Amino acid sequence: MEVLQISVSELLIPVASFLIIILGTWVTAYLVGVIVSRLMYRSAPLVSAQAKRLVRAFIWFVGLLLAVEQLGLHVELLLLIIGLFGGALIVANRSFLENISARYFSDLYVPIRVGDYVAVGGHAGRVIEMNPMSTILLSADDQLVCVPNTVFVKEAVVNATPQAWKELTIPIVVGGDVDIPEFERAVLRSSNKIRIHLDQRFPPVLSVKSRTPQSAELTLTLMVKEPGKKEEISAEMNQRIADILEEAKKKGS
Amino acid sequence: MEPLSMCVNTQTPLMRFNPSWAQKAPEGPTREAPLDMKLLTEDTDYEFTPGGVTRMVFPLLKRMMASHTLKDATWVSLNPVGPKSSTLSGIEFRNVLMEQERLAGYGKTKEAIWGTVHGLLPDSNSEDIFWRDDFTDYAYYNRLSAELIMNLDSEKDFDIFYVHDFQQLPMGHMLGTLKPKVFRWHIPFDQTAIPKLWEEPLSTYLNSYDMVIASSKRYLDSLKEFGYNGASRHVYPYVDPGDYSRPTRAQMDALRRRLGIARGEKVALVVARMDPIKGQDRVVRAMGITKRRCPALKLLLVGNGSFSSSAGGLKLSKGAAWRAYLQELARRLEVEDRVIFAGHLSQAELDAAYQLCSFTVLPSVQEGFGLVVIEGWIHRRAGIVSRGAGASELIREGSNGLLYDPDDVETLAEHMCRLAADRTLADRMGAAGRADSRRCYVDEGVKEESSIIMGLV
Repeated sequence: MEVLQISVSELLIPVASFLIIILGTWVTAYLVGVIVSRLMYRSAPLVSAQAKRLVRAFIWFVGLLLAVEQLGLHVELLLLIIGLFGGALIVANRSFLENISARYFSDLYVPIRVGDYVAVGGHAGRVIEMNPMSTILLSADDQLVCVPNTVFVKEAVVNATPQAWKELTIPIVVGGDVDIPEFERAVLRSSNKIRIHLDQRFPPVLSVKSRTPQSAELTLTLMVKEPGKKEEISAEMNQRIADILEEAKKKGS
Repeated sequence: MEPLSMCVNTQTPLMRFNPSWAQKAPEGPTREAPLDMKLLTEDTDYEFTPGGVTRMVFPLLKRMMASHTLKDATWVSLNPVGPKSSTLSGIEFRNVLMEQERLAGYGKTKEAIWGTVHGLLPDSNSEDIFWRDDFTDYAYYNRLSAELIMNLDSEKDFDIFYVHDFQQLPMGHMLGTLKPKVFRWHIPFDQTAIPKLWEEPLSTYLNSYDMVIASSKRYLDSLKEFGYNGASRHVYPYVDPGDYSRPTRAQMDALRRRLGIARGEKVALVVARMDPIKGQDRVVRAMGITKRRCPALKLLLVGNGSFSSSAGGLKLSKGAAWRAYLQELARRLEVEDRVIFAGHLSQAELDAAYQLCSFTVLPSVQEGFGLVVIEGWIHRRAGIVSRGAGASELIREGSNGLLYDPDDVETLAEHMCRLAADRTLADRMGAAGRADSRRCYVDEGVKEESSIIMGLV
């Protein structure tokens, strides 16, 4: 009987520790996510969402390792395998990963989009496709030019599209529970408040780029009056959008 | 070709519901499943909304279903009163519901678009509408519709989207799919009337469709000149001649008695909803001029408010105010005893009105088309048509009707007296009109629109 009691407690304590650590990890990930959102208040919602996701993933990774350790399993070997495998993967796919990350950053910080006329790395043409690896240009002599995305973050890019300098595209990612018509109404109203700094010929436009039950990717397109104000307008609109989402969340809860 | 699945989007619903519908429907207003309209009684629980959706969109769908061009049709429209969904003639109707407060903002924007396109509002009153808070309600309504349609699309996998009229303009942009989208621009389009600040957004919206159908060749040309560079066609609006019948003598006498029209009296008929754009004021002014030249002529004004201004509709009242203005104008011009306001008439009464009139007048300042000219022709009545109406393209001056510039009240009065005085001329024009009306028969129109739709898929 005594033997059995010892066995049960020996079994229960590690399982309870495992569960407590998982619970603690969940709470920590949630709180840190909220803190990251608050700290990145003025950043583009897409960047903020990605940063939150990354931090939470890291916390879960550490939490899971600690939790697994409580069950008496040794994690050092697991870590070593993950590290070696990850390193090998990075080395093997360096250019692939470079292009993917370049695509991600050029999306945010290089002002080009499909339909624009651009010159980069000695090539020029209309952008007809932007995929994770490369950006496809259609040249004046009807040739397809495949430019690796890294070129767009390493070299000077000329966007010769008329009015391109005016365009400010703000990517937004919202949860699947957000009421898009309501959100759009609020964003357009909010954009109207800074109308004085926007080109009157181009009213703000919100577009839904993709939609899944979990989330929706949207873009808000504004046309600024003065190029010097672009960054300021971007920061303010990002803040306003974060406020709208926060407000919607409060109403929802 | 396989039969298609089509989604139709209009602001105005086919059916306007009366409160009694809720008692007849199992589960009442909370009912989720589509309500079979056979359970309700027409004219008691619901009525067909007057205008283009009933006269054109409904027959288009019915005929495309009957010919197996369509395997199913889903019709999404704004309807603040009524069940969430219903079925009639094999078509599923889905209603978009919107709060009254938002409807007001939406209504203001669409009225501003309507007024500007029809040349009723100076640029200064409407040029910045895309920046106004009211516009966000217009966008809200369209996004609600787009969300509903995209949800339906994930269930039904539509082959094509048919968007009817300017109230739904942003839908092409908002429907997140590459499937073909047809836009029926039903109102006038004159690029010279488009304010500078509208050019970019209007162009963006229009160019997001794969096909734009205008109601007349003139408007189509203007659309191209404005910068629409997609595929486009013009199809004249159409009517089903089977919807009209020759009234009995008893029906005509009853209407005469009700409206105070003596047998043998000459009557000019205007059939239009009560709206400044319809230009009834011009005809009332012309009556002021005719009082000496042809004192026996009476003017019969038929029509109430639209779906937007009616109690069963969006309650955006303007019809009553316009009617009061016209009554005051008639009093001022001392022709109130010769101007009759008939309000809404049933189809049988309307047939009787066409039959007892000497000719029809379409006085619209601007009008996408003006089907009343065709309806008059079906009844063998000549039409005096404002050049502001798309239907003026079909007028062969002096042969099947007479034309005038919408602000030229003097010429309008002359034409009215001429047709009132010369019965033979009026009859000859009416007969020629009857032959020309075939161009706007539903068979012809549906054939053209079906071939456009089929050509896109």
